[in-house]
Amino acid sequence: MISKSLALQVLNEALATGGDYAEIYLEENHPVSITLENGKVETVSTPITCGAGIRILQGTKSVYGSTSDLRKKNLLSLANRLAASFEGERQITISKINKNRVKNISPIKIHLADVPVEEKVEWLKKGYAAAKAVDPRVVRIRTSLLNTSKTVQIFTAENEIGVESNNVEERGRYAIEVVAKDGDNIESAFAGPGRTGGWEYFTEQLNIEEVSKKAAEKAIRLLGAKECPSGRFTVVVGNGWGGVLFHEACGHSLEATATGKGLSVFSHSIGKQIASPIVTAYDDGTIPNEWGSNNIDSEGKKTQKNLLIKNGICVGFLVDKLGGRRLNMEPNGCSRRQDYTFAPTSRMSNTYIAPGKDSPEDIVKDTKLGIYVADFGGGSVEPTTGEFNFSASEAYIIRDGKLAEPVKGCTLIGSGKEVLMNIDRVGNDCGLGQGNCGSLSGSVPVNVGQPTIRIKEITVGGRGGKLE
Amino acid sequence: MKIDKFFALASEAGIAQSQIQVIKSSSTKIRLFRGDVDEFKIKESQTVIACGVYDGKFGSAISEKLDEEALKTLVESIKRNASISEKPDEVGLFAGSPKYKKKNIYSSELRNTPITEKIALLKRLEAAIKGYDPRITDADQVTYAESESEVFFYNSLGLKLKQKGNYFYFVAGAVAAENDEVKTYYDEFFGTDIKAFNPEELAKKICDKALAKFHWFTCESGQYPTVLDRTVFAALLDYFLDSTIADNVQRHTSFLEGKLNAQVGSSKLTIEEKPLERTPFYSYFDDEGVATSNKTIVKNGKLLTYLYNRETAKKDGVETTGNAAWHGGKIGTGYSSVYVKKGKQTFEKLIAPIKEGVYITEIAGLGTGMNARSGNFSCQAEGYWIKDGKINRPLNLITLSGNLLQLMKDIKGFDDRAQLDSSSFCNADCLIKKLSIGGN
Repeated sequence: MISKSLALQVLNEALATGGDYAEIYLEENHPVSITLENGKVETVSTPITCGAGIRILQGTKSVYGSTSDLRKKNLLSLANRLAASFEGERQITISKINKNRVKNISPIKIHLADVPVEEKVEWLKKGYAAAKAVDPRVVRIRTSLLNTSKTVQIFTAENEIGVESNNVEERGRYAIEVVAKDGDNIESAFAGPGRTGGWEYFTEQLNIEEVSKKAAEKAIRLLGAKECPSGRFTVVVGNGWGGVLFHEACGHSLEATATGKGLSVFSHSIGKQIASPIVTAYDDGTIPNEWGSNNIDSEGKKTQKNLLIKNGICVGFLVDKLGGRRLNMEPNGCSRRQDYTFAPTSRMSNTYIAPGKDSPEDIVKDTKLGIYVADFGGGSVEPTTGEFNFSASEAYIIRDGKLAEPVKGCTLIGSGKEVLMNIDRVGNDCGLGQGNCGSLSGSVPVNVGQPTIRIKEITVGGRGGKLE
Repeated sequence: MKIDKFFALASEAGIAQSQIQVIKSSSTKIRLFRGDVDEFKIKESQTVIACGVYDGKFGSAISEKLDEEALKTLVESIKRNASISEKPDEVGLFAGSPKYKKKNIYSSELRNTPITEKIALLKRLEAAIKGYDPRITDADQVTYAESESEVFFYNSLGLKLKQKGNYFYFVAGAVAAENDEVKTYYDEFFGTDIKAFNPEELAKKICDKALAKFHWFTCESGQYPTVLDRTVFAALLDYFLDSTIADNVQRHTSFLEGKLNAQVGSSKLTIEEKPLERTPFYSYFDDEGVATSNKTIVKNGKLLTYLYNRETAKKDGVETTGNAAWHGGKIGTGYSSVYVKKGKQTFEKLIAPIKEGVYITEIAGLGTGMNARSGNFSCQAEGYWIKDGKINRPLNLITLSGNLLQLMKDIKGFDDRAQLDSSSFCNADCLIKKLSIGGN
């Protein structure tokens, strides 16, 4: 990391040609990844990332440069080359940098970086053993534990005020992939719970045996599953990871990256009905210890709980500094980036549909024929058209209000506008699921969440012919 | 000198054999929005990948620094990571191939072309998109990017290799609107010869495809003869090739296990890997320092080889195919420069026999919709309805589902429109006997 005096020089160099905002983002990350193949340690990976990104804004124009060389000469040269993109006179000179007091919202008892690798290996072996014991048709089990320990230093300069924000991001994630094989029939299942937190989460809250056993049971179940039928059906989406529906169908289209340029299907939707009146949705980066949480965003601003949709009415966007300038809105603590090589932009953190009144059992009971999606692999969206897709990793046919046979190879597609309006039941069992979201500023950890919901009708793809 | 220091430190630490790769790269990215440069990015990086054999086990470490402190950390990490590993090293490091086919593919002209000329081309591209048709309401992600990298490879057995390359690409999208319908289409041009880029030609292609999407419908669910656009076929082929990686086969998680020398595709399917072609993907050595070679993987539907690094090759008692590639802290296996034998007929002739079918031009969600182990897939798709041998009208909000092995066996032919893409795949449009389409 760098001194305040060097930061001052670099910021002023960056602002020499008329930039009205400059930022230096420095990071040093020491991730540790341990991977076991069939219960034996195969790879221990300890890459070290260290570098800086410099951004200058002039109105809504942006220049960004990154380097892994943190020497004074190189940082000043990078700032100088970036500033050369503008041709104006200096507008701002920074003479002092104030310190931003950053409050830690995710307490940690035992730092993952302090836990001996051998102890983590022993813990991972429990996951392998639990999955292996499920069925002899399990042929491959890959278990891993990844922990990141990222120290971040952000300097910003705007309105002649310099600010320094320091933060530490510590996350850990357990991942298990189980492959089951029966003759030529091969299926796999994945689970990946994670937290912004310490070793205590993994040893006290997460039941590794249970998570691993469930993953193996899912892979075995898929061996006997029929191909999913295709057509337009009523679909009940289970809680937790089911929230990827909202993430793809709506969340990305509410990011200022898209709305700020008028290129989102929801660009002009503030105050308008965009979802069923029973839908209320938030993005909240402040939930203690959650996977998508953080103390501050990538521009040094405190994270917030942002209400996006209230009773079906669009009431807010996710706004970063640049997007805010385009939208004439205040940034709301959602600027994120994978690492220093990416310029930050508006991104989701922990995004969820708020709980409703129905019990999940009643929602299934009240569905005569349809599909129940218990778990997802992920999805994607084109924010301009709002067309999205997501893939189910565990699904069942609902017959006469009960879960019947499992199905595989199930994809749900639609347009965000249509699907959000088609939600006719919202359960009371809100849960969160962990994933990584890829977009313009790279891959960032996000929670997706929702209670059990029902969509009256949506297009389902699969190879199983008609639903009968 | 720093490299010698690394070898000395490794040797002192008891690391019997050691290897270090230094990758220096830089890139520039410029994006226009409504006539102005709204984003300009410069990226400079150095990645140091070091590995070695300690106490009979393999360990590796990655850093972005190459100073003395970083060298010490790399050596300590290799030693510690190897100590924890429970997998004995089977092959050691590599002393070198008898011959390397080294070519100079670096374009000085690309580097020396002033950035102002590149921005001028970008502005022409944006203007051509926006002025193409009144229904084109905006141009999106109008971007120029160029990248340059230099790789230095050294190991303690005396092997020294290096190569340098660069390339550029232009990418842009058109936003088209008519009544309540909004449609987009994105495409790219990439290569090393910037003079070959014609902005108006790319703009026309992008705009024509965006405008052709209006008045779409969703067909009935069913199984239809399906033509896959070359980009769609390439995306699916990528997963098929993943199953030819010997490591997946040896761990019983490939649907191609036990199928060596068996028919895994129709007689129309021939797949080659050509890392030695003079393209931006040229590479004359792999990540173990083994000389790469052009090879046929599938010939007339018959699987001729799996893809190997030295370790998996030893396990199968064969020679490595020169496909070693770093993957998550270990030397795994990879591929690039994949060429599929094209057909002789035009696209029009390829679709002529289809009474009712679909032409899939874009897919989304394959990353999560593909079960790479079984080859079963299901994803979002769009394209055109084919009726009486001709393109009829656009299709949207449909799904495409199938099984990769069956798809390859059901190939009826390719047209003659093969083109190398930035994905490093060069293939033509492909007609499949039938695939499942989900719709109404």
